Amino acid sequence: MTEWLAVWQNSGLLVQGFVNTLILTVAAIVGSTLLGFIYALVRYYKVPIAEQIVTVLLEVFRGSPLLIQLLFIYFGLAFMGIRGVPVLVVCIITITFYQGAYISEVFRAGLESVGAGQKEAARTLGLKEFQTMMFVILPQSLPVIYPPLFGQFVALVKHTALASVIGYMDILRYGKAIIDREHNPFEVYFTVAVLYFVISYPLSLIAQRLEKKALKV
Amino acid sequence: MIQVLPYLPEFLDGMWLTVRVSVLAFIGSLFLGTIGALARLSPVKILNFIAGIYVEAIRNTPALVQIFIIFFGLPAFGIVLPAFWAGVVALAVNAGAYNTEIIRAGIQAVPKGQLEAARTLGLTRFTTFMRVTFPQAMRTVYPPIINEFIAIILGTSLLSIIGLTELTSTAQIVNSLTFATIGAFSVSLVLYLVLTNLVSYLSVVFARTTFKPPLPGTTRKGRIGFLAGKKLLVRAQTANGGAQ
Repeated sequence: MTEWLAVWQNSGLLVQGFVNTLILTVAAIVGSTLLGFIYALVRYYKVPIAEQIVTVLLEVFRGSPLLIQLLFIYFGLAFMGIRGVPVLVVCIITITFYQGAYISEVFRAGLESVGAGQKEAARTLGLKEFQTMMFVILPQSLPVIYPPLFGQFVALVKHTALASVIGYMDILRYGKAIIDREHNPFEVYFTVAVLYFVISYPLSLIAQRLEKKALKV
Repeated sequence: MIQVLPYLPEFLDGMWLTVRVSVLAFIGSLFLGTIGALARLSPVKILNFIAGIYVEAIRNTPALVQIFIIFFGLPAFGIVLPAFWAGVVALAVNAGAYNTEIIRAGIQAVPKGQLEAARTLGLTRFTTFMRVTFPQAMRTVYPPIINEFIAIILGTSLLSIIGLTELTSTAQIVNSLTFATIGAFSVSLVLYLVLTNLVSYLSVVFARTTFKPPLPGTTRKGRIGFLAGKKLLVRAQTANGGAQ
């Protein structure tokens, strides 16, 4: 019981970590969605050179663990003489690239689900390439994109936990600090898990609801 | 880069450990996934409920926290696991939750008419499952399960944090020995890419010999290209991401 009490007494730290995790999560969600969309556009329009670069980036970021990417970029930047980059920025960049690689697949599948006739018709009606994408293809692909996109956001929330390894003060990192002082690993980690659940579960529910909606249509 | 090369045997040792943990965890996750799926599909409410809690709890918390609970938290209850087995159990429990959903979806995807036809033809419940449901479910389940295996391989990198000298951990050690940061992490990055590509390649080879008619994405005739597995697996990306 005293162990649980110790968690309660240190709840201020966990709240602070919770806020930091939220900051990282929101920034990485915005970043990875944008990057994923850009990747998908490059592949959709088969932009020369850029397409090859994207293919390599996707292969590397999807084929290796996030942890090693974080270490690589965090220590690699210092190694190349770029110092003083805040750990939050390193985490946002790395998670953006990692999750962006997965999200690009979501967008690609969505864009490809729209029939080629739609594009041809829009072009025939005199719409510009940009207008065709914004007003014809993208709106129609959104129902296909949304459910897996939110699924990826759930994955992203969980991946932010790795930021603690390179020293970002998120929930897990503050949790460790409490354990160092109070020696109650089970109670603290359990609470940490619950806090992640609080962020992640609503996103899961949204994903499930969107999926059901998409299946009905 | 040159300073790192003498440590290649250590990297290969780390890779071998990664492979062992991954394979054990994968077997465990298949076991848990099958039990979980059967529980979720069973008419018994309580089993259904427990499996539901298991899936939601695991899928909505970070794998790293799960590993910490098993490695640092369980000793409070007298359950002390060495790092290796703690890692295997944690990854198996984690991937098991994803596999539960994959296998459940696979079994549910078999059309009802198939079962009715099988029952009409006089097949017993057991034979129906083994001869009708199972082979068809395997076809839907196979690609996402292989994706889960790859997710486990990537997930083993987390075990470096609880002191297992696998591939990531080796890179960190070599980095601190040689200060060749880019070299050390590049080598392990490449080895991870080799592992994951090997698995996706072998998965296609296996799929070609096993599934008739062939699965979509494995139909291309002739030589199996280096990136052959991508087509099969990208399609099957699980909605909630992987074990890491």
